[in-house]
Amino acid sequence: QPLAGGQNAELQSKVVPSKQILHSDNMEMEPETMETKSVTDYFSKLHMGSLVYSCTSKRK
Amino acid sequence: DRSFHVRYRMEASCLELALEGERLCKAGDCRAGVSFFEAAVQVGTEDLRTLSAIYSQLGNAYFYLQDYAKALEYHHHDLTLARTIGDLLGEAKASGNLGNTLKVLGNFEEAIVCCQRHLDISRELNDKVGEARALYNLGNVYHSKGKNVANAGTHDPGELPDDVKNALQKAAKYYEENLSIVTELGDRAAQGRAFGNLGNTHYLLGNFRSAVLAHEQRLLIAKEFGDRSAERRAYCNLGNAYIFLGEFETAAEYYRRTLQLARQLKDRAVEAQACYSLGNTYTLLQDYEKAIDYHLKHLVIAQELHDKIGEGRACWSLGNAYTALGNHDQAIHFAERHLEISREVGDRSGELTARLNLSDLQMVLGLSYSTNNSMMAESHAVENSLNGGRPRGRRYSMENMELMKLTPEKVPNWN
Repeated sequence: QPLAGGQNAELQSKVVPSKQILHSDNMEMEPETMETKSVTDYFSKLHMGSLVYSCTSKRK
Repeated sequence: DRSFHVRYRMEASCLELALEGERLCKAGDCRAGVSFFEAAVQVGTEDLRTLSAIYSQLGNAYFYLQDYAKALEYHHHDLTLARTIGDLLGEAKASGNLGNTLKVLGNFEEAIVCCQRHLDISRELNDKVGEARALYNLGNVYHSKGKNVANAGTHDPGELPDDVKNALQKAAKYYEENLSIVTELGDRAAQGRAFGNLGNTHYLLGNFRSAVLAHEQRLLIAKEFGDRSAERRAYCNLGNAYIFLGEFETAAEYYRRTLQLARQLKDRAVEAQACYSLGNTYTLLQDYEKAIDYHLKHLVIAQELHDKIGEGRACWSLGNAYTALGNHDQAIHFAERHLEISREVGDRSGELTARLNLSDLQMVLGLSYSTNNSMMAESHAVENSLNGGRPRGRRYSMENMELMKLTPEKVPNWN
């Protein structure tokens, strides 16, 4: 098969992968940050009065 | 009196349920946390600030559970409520959370409006921490927007249409603004996040040296905190950037560290990705034995994780590497497997690639065209359907064989 040698060389040259296809899709992003609320931000003042509030503050 | 007593008991039980929801979410059990929050909503409360906090946490819990439609619904309730009661800080937080959710859903324009609102209120309240967080969120929205448009086309990082470039440049600007505030505040964790995403933005913009500088900073902070997941992310991103700088040995070193950490962290999916990247890097280094070794490792994990797309990629890469070594039997084996998997997952372009690889290999092996007529006709049909009926580049008849171009057009750009 006279073609084989030349074709073989050409086949080898196509082995080099496209960097775009292989690498750009596995970029590692940092996590998102969400804003947080808590019922304890409000309830101490509104529901339980200052006594509970001072207790929870002391525990910290 | 009696009605006061009932209302008091209901308030207390709503609060108790919500507190249990908070405890469960903090402990990482968002699924159970959601049930308690939803029960709290059922019982109800007359205190709109408590209700706002419950909606906000329900939104976040659904966000972490990746139920973004539900997250959107609850963050929207929270925003409405915060506005109703004139809670400006609460409105800023709800807007930020809504913006992040809209970003994930791909609604970038509305996401920008919400994140901008978060930023404006934070500035109005002179809340530096809130301002920095809003800037980070805005950077993330513009980054996603740019990446989303970029993914629609096929180009290397750095070769970008103007709208993509604009979005990415805005992302970089917001990350830098964020960095100057969090540096002032001495918030190292926030700096780490901003450096990581700034690095990825520079990478997409094709500023690979700047990407390396940012990821090196990210790596430093990850080590400071002993945060091995962040360290692994930095190694992987550094590897990617060095590939495009043409420094394949350095890239391989970073990917090896990624692999080492992925194994320590027992993350099989990341381990597979690291093996795949190493296989590709050794292909670029023309060390095909090592490339095959890593692609085989990737294949094994892809099969274990039932990742058909990964398995198909592994077979394609293995076919190419064996072709390079002149091991045509193995090359044909993997090209056939790639064809099978592409058919299974309905990947038309993968199917075409596999057919072309097989026909090239069969030609090298001296198989006559007449024995493969049916396969050729089929390939032709697939290619025509992919190219709107117009055959391009390749010819299949014997008399036009000299016109066949086996080398892809982009080879000169690769090195």
